[in-house]
Amino acid sequence: MIYFLSVPKVTLQVEVFSIMIVVGLIFGFMVYANRQLTQSDPLAKPKGVVLLCTIYVNFISKLTTDNMGAKAAKTYSPYIGVLALFMVLSNISGLFGLAQPTANYSVTLTLALITFVLVQSTVYRSVGLKQFFHRFIEPFPPFIIMNFFGTIAPLVSMSLRLFGNITSGSVIMMLFYTFTGYISGMIPVLGKFDFIGVLTGPFLHAYFDLFAGLIQTYIFIMLTTIFIGNELPQEE
Amino acid sequence: MELAKGLVAIGAGLAVFTGMMTGIGQGYAAGKAVEAVGRNPEAENKIRSMLILGCAIAETCAIYGMLIAFLLIFVFK
Repeated sequence: MIYFLSVPKVTLQVEVFSIMIVVGLIFGFMVYANRQLTQSDPLAKPKGVVLLCTIYVNFISKLTTDNMGAKAAKTYSPYIGVLALFMVLSNISGLFGLAQPTANYSVTLTLALITFVLVQSTVYRSVGLKQFFHRFIEPFPPFIIMNFFGTIAPLVSMSLRLFGNITSGSVIMMLFYTFTGYISGMIPVLGKFDFIGVLTGPFLHAYFDLFAGLIQTYIFIMLTTIFIGNELPQEE
Repeated sequence: MELAKGLVAIGAGLAVFTGMMTGIGQGYAAGKAVEAVGRNPEAENKIRSMLILGCAIAETCAIYGMLIAFLLIFVFK
């Protein structure tokens, strides 16, 4: 918690700065990639940044087309792509010594809220206002309680899944380093230096930061596309 | 005061027990995936990605339990 200069009662959480760094990195990369893409020869074999961008865009458009159909994929795939990029960088930013933005519940709740609003607006656009409210009392009025919680549940589960995974990873790493520090403290000469943690830590970091971060990103974008795709009108 | 601390620790330990059923479910899913690969080896890549997705979603429950345990330990200390 950092107290903002001379403005009373305004506190900035430390994650704000890591979000700024992550977004700045994405912005810088996009400007750079855009310049490379416009300069590159479309008929030549792509290489370097151009190849990377092509693979990434292909991956995202394939994922969205599989779950939502070609027409909606064109509308939603830019958002999905940027979301995936932001979440991957946020999840692995713990490796570079930043406070992970996704270990803050406000951030994950905001991301889940965007998905929730997208899903609900898709419902509204595909069935209209009357049906939108009528869906809550289907098949008969007392079901409004269940339908209400069924609507809210994805918001809670998506945000808590991401938050819990990242937070538990960082807490477990903290406990682990405390433990290895205690163990190596028993060794007489080398005790000041936690060499057991240094030797065994990277494997746990690879699991908790890299693997869990990438998997959670994949699940989040997968669920977002599936939820939106379920509510789209069936196209022939 | 000491009793309250011990009770919080017991509660945290019980909350982590949500992971038990998740373990059973993930093992079952992995076994089914092995069966599916045995029956249909050319679909291995699709089955693997499906398995990882399903396992990670099933893991949510265990993560909730862990979150509650952390809350108990770090909030009610």
